[in-house]
Amino acid sequence: MSAAGDVARMLTLVPWLLERPGASVAETAAAFGVTEATIRRDLGHLDFCGLPGLGGGDLFEVDIVGERVVVQMADELKRPLRPTPREALRLVLTVDAVSEALSDEVPALRTAVDKVRVALGIPETVADVVEPGANDVVPVLRRAIADQRQVRLHYQGRADEQPQWRTVDPWTLQVADGTWYLRAHDAGADAARTFRLDRVIAIETSDRERAVPAPEHLPPPGYAPGADDLEVELEVSVAGRWVLDAVAPDAVDERTDGSAVVRLRTDAPGWLARVVLTAGGDARVCAPASLAEEVAVLAADALERYRR
Amino acid sequence: MTAKVERLVNLTVAFLEARRPMTLAELRRRTGYYTQGDPESSRRMFERDKDDLRRLGVPIETREVAFGDEVGYVVDRAAYELADVDLTAEEVAALSLAVQLTGSEGSHLALAKLAARAPDPADLATSPTTRVSLVPDPVDAVADAVVARVPVRFPYRTAGGETAERTVDPYAIVQRRGAWYLVGRDHARDAIRAFRLDRMVGRAREAGAPGGYLVPEGFDPAEHVRGPEGERVDVEVAVRAGARWAVELRGGVDTGRTHHGEPVLRLPDLDPVRDRSWLLGLGPDVEVLAPEALRAEVVEALERLSGGATSERSERDDRGGGREDS
Repeated sequence: MSAAGDVARMLTLVPWLLERPGASVAETAAAFGVTEATIRRDLGHLDFCGLPGLGGGDLFEVDIVGERVVVQMADELKRPLRPTPREALRLVLTVDAVSEALSDEVPALRTAVDKVRVALGIPETVADVVEPGANDVVPVLRRAIADQRQVRLHYQGRADEQPQWRTVDPWTLQVADGTWYLRAHDAGADAARTFRLDRVIAIETSDRERAVPAPEHLPPPGYAPGADDLEVELEVSVAGRWVLDAVAPDAVDERTDGSAVVRLRTDAPGWLARVVLTAGGDARVCAPASLAEEVAVLAADALERYRR
Repeated sequence: MTAKVERLVNLTVAFLEARRPMTLAELRRRTGYYTQGDPESSRRMFERDKDDLRRLGVPIETREVAFGDEVGYVVDRAAYELADVDLTAEEVAALSLAVQLTGSEGSHLALAKLAARAPDPADLATSPTTRVSLVPDPVDAVADAVVARVPVRFPYRTAGGETAERTVDPYAIVQRRGAWYLVGRDHARDAIRAFRLDRMVGRAREAGAPGGYLVPEGFDPAEHVRGPEGERVDVEVAVRAGARWAVELRGGVDTGRTHHGEPVLRLPDLDPVRDRSWLLGLGPDVEVLAPEALRAEVVEALERLSGGATSERSERDDRGGGREDS
């Protein structure tokens, strides 16, 4: 971090420690989200700070006895520096987003967000989180995770023709950029799986205990291309640009008229064909021909219904 | 030589203690800093320190002083200090959990400032089952402007793909379904618009003075990121038994059967423009029965998409000898 960033932390460290005489280096480091070495270095600097003149009676008194820290004679810095507008906005938005997802579990979040908004002068008219995409199955899954129970999900997989019932050991819920995911062990596949909650059609809790515990570390959800993936090239018009957000492109060639050519890999051509259908002509399959054919046949099948 | 961090802390303390404007000459006398080398380079050193502190949020202001051309520098303690926030131990714990869950390092310091004079966090009764990840970084680019009400100019790639310069009075930052938006008045259109932060293709530059506009009374940022509320219609669809769930998930309710014996579901309050795409994506699983205009639009789009391909089903029907097509 820059010298300036260190100064911002030190100006906060003083009031924090004045309030907590004898705090340990470890808890101080945890509160500031930095290492203990950083806190010790900060304290080393603060030992040379104080009132102008910096004579015997002017310096802050910083004592570290073993693990314990005592700061005295620093009343000019009795209160912390106000967060900058940037810090304030970021904190409010972070906490608000988490509160939208978690306030059932941690009710104090709701009141805390309101107090922080008032203290920092960031009302909802300035920064807000809307429609986090909450989901009916969330409370059921939360209970199952807390009670360590298995659940059965009626789930429409991206690559599945039809929704299927799956038995899973639920590990954790994740909200990544507004979308809810369940990380779980899928008993049928005997492997870790990520489920999007907006594809869960029904859920049943069971009395069976969770069989496979959660691993220590779960990487964030994301699409990992496999070796058997189909390589696809799509052309999207200006009106079909939303397709870029719906798929995970490997490459996008922008054209000057606003259209683009997208290359991606997928393990679920059937799903991709439906995406192209959804675009209603604003996206076109350039390659492979088999996928273009699949789209055309789906459309012809659908048309058939209207002509009988 | 003193470490720079120490000099910056001491300078801040000197400002807070003085409680009145000090000229650079007075600061030199009081602190002993900025006295080395020639006056011009030491003045530049002071200017750099002053800019650094301002960036951290230390509100150093300039004042005219009675004598000479010198300016005085002053920090208003009330503007510097964060007033006590009346947080409970549970609330501190909840906030610290939120910051940990998001792994938002930049928020640690802001939280430490808020919690500096609050109780220590309580032990939470439950360890939460949910993890939250978000990307609040793009917020930084416009946060200062939103709070200080400074008009900004930035290059923006529209949904249509072309890039154009926009000048905006930034009113608010909103996250909706994972996407970040800047909501504000677009100067060129003289209307409130939402801009996706991930479509800003260059830095936002200031394009006016702080406090350069007023946010209109009753402004609700959420209204502007939801997109236009179109006219709503009830839609009736015939659904293949196997695909019922998809329509039911969307709020479809059973209303009977077609003469082919297929279930008919009514979907209340669909947007005839946006939801047409969703209906198209269901492909052969649904047939739009009403309203007539929507049915015609779907047929037209399907004709375009089929590009003259033959239906596999009609081939099957041919083989069965029962083709009902015209």
